[in-house]
Amino acid sequence: MAEKNEHKCSPLVSVIISTFNRPRYLACALASVLRQGYTNLQPIVVNDGGCDVADVVNSFSDKRVVFINRKENRGKAASLNEALEKADGKYVAYLDDDDLFYQNHVETLVGALQEHPDCAAAYSDLYKVYCKTAPDGSRTALSKVVKVSRDFDRFVMLYFNNVLHVSFLHERGLIEKTGPYNENLSVLIDWDITRRLVFFCDFFHTPRITGEFYQPADDTERISFKQRRDKQAYTKNALTIRTTRPPKPWSKIKDLSIILLAERFDSRAGATLGLIWRYTFYPYKLYLPMPGADINRLNTDMPNIVTVGVDRSASQIERIAAVLGQCQSEYVSVVPAGFPVGEMWLEDSLYALINNTVENEAFELEGSTDRLRAVVLKTEHLRYAIDTFPGLPLREAIKAAKITLRRIRPDEIPFQLDTLLKKAQNAEKADDWLGAAGIYEYIAENYHNQLWMKSLAAAALFKAGRDDKAAEICHTVNRQRPTVDTLLLEAKLKRRRGDFHSAVELLEKAELILNPGFDCGRCEPTLTNQNSQ
Amino acid sequence: MPEEKRTMLADRREEEAAEAHNSTQHYEVLRQLGDSCTSLGKFDEARRYYEKAASLAPDEPDPYVGLGVIALQENLLDDAEIAFRVACRLDKNCSKAYAGLAMIAQQRSDYQQAFELYLRCLELDGDNLTALLGLFQTSCQMGTFEKIIHYLQTYLNMHPGDSSVMFSLAALYMKDERLDDARKLLADLLTLDPNHSEAANLLEELDRTLYQNENKRERAG
Repeated sequence: MAEKNEHKCSPLVSVIISTFNRPRYLACALASVLRQGYTNLQPIVVNDGGCDVADVVNSFSDKRVVFINRKENRGKAASLNEALEKADGKYVAYLDDDDLFYQNHVETLVGALQEHPDCAAAYSDLYKVYCKTAPDGSRTALSKVVKVSRDFDRFVMLYFNNVLHVSFLHERGLIEKTGPYNENLSVLIDWDITRRLVFFCDFFHTPRITGEFYQPADDTERISFKQRRDKQAYTKNALTIRTTRPPKPWSKIKDLSIILLAERFDSRAGATLGLIWRYTFYPYKLYLPMPGADINRLNTDMPNIVTVGVDRSASQIERIAAVLGQCQSEYVSVVPAGFPVGEMWLEDSLYALINNTVENEAFELEGSTDRLRAVVLKTEHLRYAIDTFPGLPLREAIKAAKITLRRIRPDEIPFQLDTLLKKAQNAEKADDWLGAAGIYEYIAENYHNQLWMKSLAAAALFKAGRDDKAAEICHTVNRQRPTVDTLLLEAKLKRRRGDFHSAVELLEKAELILNPGFDCGRCEPTLTNQNSQ
Repeated sequence: MPEEKRTMLADRREEEAAEAHNSTQHYEVLRQLGDSCTSLGKFDEARRYYEKAASLAPDEPDPYVGLGVIALQENLLDDAEIAFRVACRLDKNCSKAYAGLAMIAQQRSDYQQAFELYLRCLELDGDNLTALLGLFQTSCQMGTFEKIIHYLQTYLNMHPGDSSVMFSLAALYMKDERLDDARKLLADLLTLDPNHSEAANLLEELDRTLYQNENKRERAG
């Protein structure tokens, strides 16, 4: 009964491990799951047609483990889908067969979701372990670095992946909304699913370190490495992911329609179409109002295109009106063929529109000229303007509807943090360490991501020779969440002051993280969560 | 659209390429542990850390310098020499290893060899205080001062206020009959450190000499 009560507040968590030809590391990975402090687990091991690992799995004699021993190699996405079909947990977590959870992993993430019921997914931080591998497969850590520690930002997640799958846990039920893993992708499989998840829920980021993933220094033959090296395939996969639209309704994303206006569907319109496909990362449907003859000649693989039949003699306003009769999106952008399309061409203004608190405002896209003018606005506003002032050109109709049309201000664009980070990195390259530290501290104060930014600020201050300030920040960070880098930095500062005892203490903590005293070939349960807060 | 954001993806690729070289952190922790334990006189622990550091980064000279320093502290000159020579072989510009070899030569009373090795070290790293003071000592032992004055002046330009070097240079100025330079330096030193008794004694001796010289000049005049 006591166990049942315990499980009531500790819902079942399915942990999926897909494995292919790495029995040595699988043992270590599975051991790290089975020794979790959180015990209500359903580990699911899927052998993706690799060498026989039944002995490895059975050697643990743990009845919680579900083992899918498939003989055929169908890829990681297929393995994850197969495991999800067997999963019973309220939550799902993932572990690669050569990576590790610390003992606090599942507990930390489940706890984060229980404390933040508005979120249905959570992620933590991980050490990226650069290691050298001996001929017998044993690995020695050369460094353990927290490379990504970024708070959740939906717009960023739409653009690129900053959530490592091994650090991720989500409600299993969400997969019914997103659909399964895309088995046609060869890379970025995890980003595909996390990107689809942001349509339906918020993620919670806890900056605790709860595991590690491995990057062998000399292993360029890894499947993932080789696949990423194929740039064409990589780009194709990225485009597929960016244009994937999970089934509606979406609770967290408002849809966008892009209306491409062209007198005829010629090479110029085709080129604009291609650029929109390549660069637009916000989810959209592209509407092409065009005569039937042009529609019949349209030959493109581009997804999410909706053709709308109009008379060849139809005016621009009539074409827009024809599209508005069909589209259901909250936002709409009207773009003429030939408009300059590049990175963030639409998203800068769209982001401003989404976050705008002023009701009757619309945005003219950067790059607009008197000859080529593109806008983005709320669909209801455009509909009102067109319906009320059908005889006016678009710009005049919008103005007549008392909707202010303006350009964005610099403080309205997305990715402010990235822009500032870039500035700090440039300052570092120019040896302006104090300038870089100032930017990092500014980001920490204004854009969250405090631990990450403070760690960078401390390192920059150290380089600038501002030892006192560096030591103060470093000490604060290490009390909250020590990493090898910050422990090493504080130790160097202690040494500079001649405090060798404290330096040794800090360095020994760092050494314990780097070399926790387990044999990767067959883990002993000595790996602890040295970094738990 | 600002130019900086347009390059964001490219930067990430650049970052990933840089990550591939991130292989020295564990080595750095072990080396720092070795250095810190050495400073605390915990030579056995330090030796163990240096040996681990050397096995992680076999091309790095610093762990061998550390092992040499420990052997030197324990007066195991042969072991120290082997360690410093390994460091030199790994990096022919390893100034610390030359300083170590110089100290061994000095302890073996081979002052000429020690002098040359200290000089080699200072050519590679004019900032090496151990070599500077070693050069000063061997200069005194050999009775040659010309080269050392230049190195001490250079060092003081980079580290104004270093009392040990100020005192050594003042002593050399005196031996070189540059009494005014010596007096100014000692006065500066005593301003910085009024309790520096050796400097006070030397200044007293210097003033006595200057007084005697003045008297001689007056009598001669």
